[in-house]
Amino acid sequence: MPGIDECLLEAMRLPGARGAALVDWTSGLALGTVGESPGGDHETTAAEAAELARLAAEHGAFAAADPGGERPPVEDLIVSNRDSYHLLRFVDTPFDSSVFLHLWLSRAEGNLALARIRLGEMAARLVLG
Amino acid sequence: MTVVDTTPPPPLPVRDRTAAAERAWGGLSPMLTRLAAEKASGVLVRERGTLYLAEGRVVHAESPLAPGLDTLLTAYGTLTAEAWRDAVARAGDRHGAAQLLLSGGQLAEGALQLCHLGALYDAAYFALAPSSAPGRFRYGVAHRLGPVLPVPVAALERETLRRRDLLHSIWPDPRADSAPLARTRTTAVPKLTVRQQILLERIDGTRTAADLARELGRQAFHTLVDVRRLASAGLVAPLKAEADTGPTEAEADAGPAEAETGPPTPGITAGTAETTAPHTTARTADTTDPHVTERIRYTTDPHITLLKRLRDALEAL
Repeated sequence: MPGIDECLLEAMRLPGARGAALVDWTSGLALGTVGESPGGDHETTAAEAAELARLAAEHGAFAAADPGGERPPVEDLIVSNRDSYHLLRFVDTPFDSSVFLHLWLSRAEGNLALARIRLGEMAARLVLG
Repeated sequence: MTVVDTTPPPPLPVRDRTAAAERAWGGLSPMLTRLAAEKASGVLVRERGTLYLAEGRVVHAESPLAPGLDTLLTAYGTLTAEAWRDAVARAGDRHGAAQLLLSGGQLAEGALQLCHLGALYDAAYFALAPSSAPGRFRYGVAHRLGPVLPVPVAALERETLRRRDLLHSIWPDPRADSAPLARTRTTAVPKLTVRQQILLERIDGTRTAADLARELGRQAFHTLVDVRRLASAGLVAPLKAEADTGPTEAEADAGPAEAETGPPTPGITAGTAETTAPHTTARTADTTDPHVTERIRYTTDPHITLLKRLRDALEAL
């Protein structure tokens, strides 16, 4: 059963991974960080990513047709720029929380499709063991 | 008579301004900063919460204003109340309750760490609030939960300050954090999230944000964020708002700009006079106006928090 740190280290083993974090999107708190972050400051990155995640999670436009109770309405969020990808995966916890995994991938080496699948598996294993 | 050739006096020490500024700040609780520096283990009891330290790092936090880890874990059936009680009862010096839950396979490690960190930062937010009484530290006391993920004191203080700013940026009136909440009538109801809707339905004029958080098994700070959003949307207001309006506005107006102009304005004098009065009587008698006591306790007025920090620092010497 992996803990937060093991989960983030596993994410860092994905090809092209530059940094990873587990972030609470209501408060913007980074619960765990590993590797680099875009501005060199994980806390600022976490707060900014949390703001984006909150907007995606709270606006009905992005929610699935079936509301699914208190589960996160969005599965993941992908942002790409000229040199990197950001992948945000919402974690469905068996208790009330609002967290997501944030993976920063190099565009040249990263495989977005693979990372998306793996990050989903890691998010599930993190809370279910 | 011999002439003594004295050596020139040594240069006067030059104060390092940046270091001095850091020392003068002393963190949210000077006592906690000192305990972290000496790598102390034990429990720090503050007015609105308790922090457990192990080797200078925070391993657990509790506050009457935030639901505990047990509430968060049992509210949604992640863990049964019996399983929690059993683990706490069996916990000893060698194995904390956390380790027993993990080895019993009742909880995944990631889930426990996630929930525990959430609860820790949540309770610490209240425990580190400006207090009207100095904290007390007892060495060698450990929590039955045992270690999960320790958090450095500096990180906890930074996050607590960031959370204060976050709440302030959503809606600057802190009264909704502590007063019983009531729904207000508005014509244009904005679209609410499912979570906000569930929260709003339970607001009935008697419950406070802390009560609602406990009932819903949500972190108290998350509930405060939603409550302030609802307040800024005009859907929720703290009760007895009318009686409180006058003095609070006076306190809010007494910003740094006015403090520089010299003689204190009546607003400031009234505010500080009120702070000292209820503190002496708050514990012994209920005759003090509860609104004033309540408001002082939760105030974020910079003058009052500065005075409280000064007093805490003096008492900690």
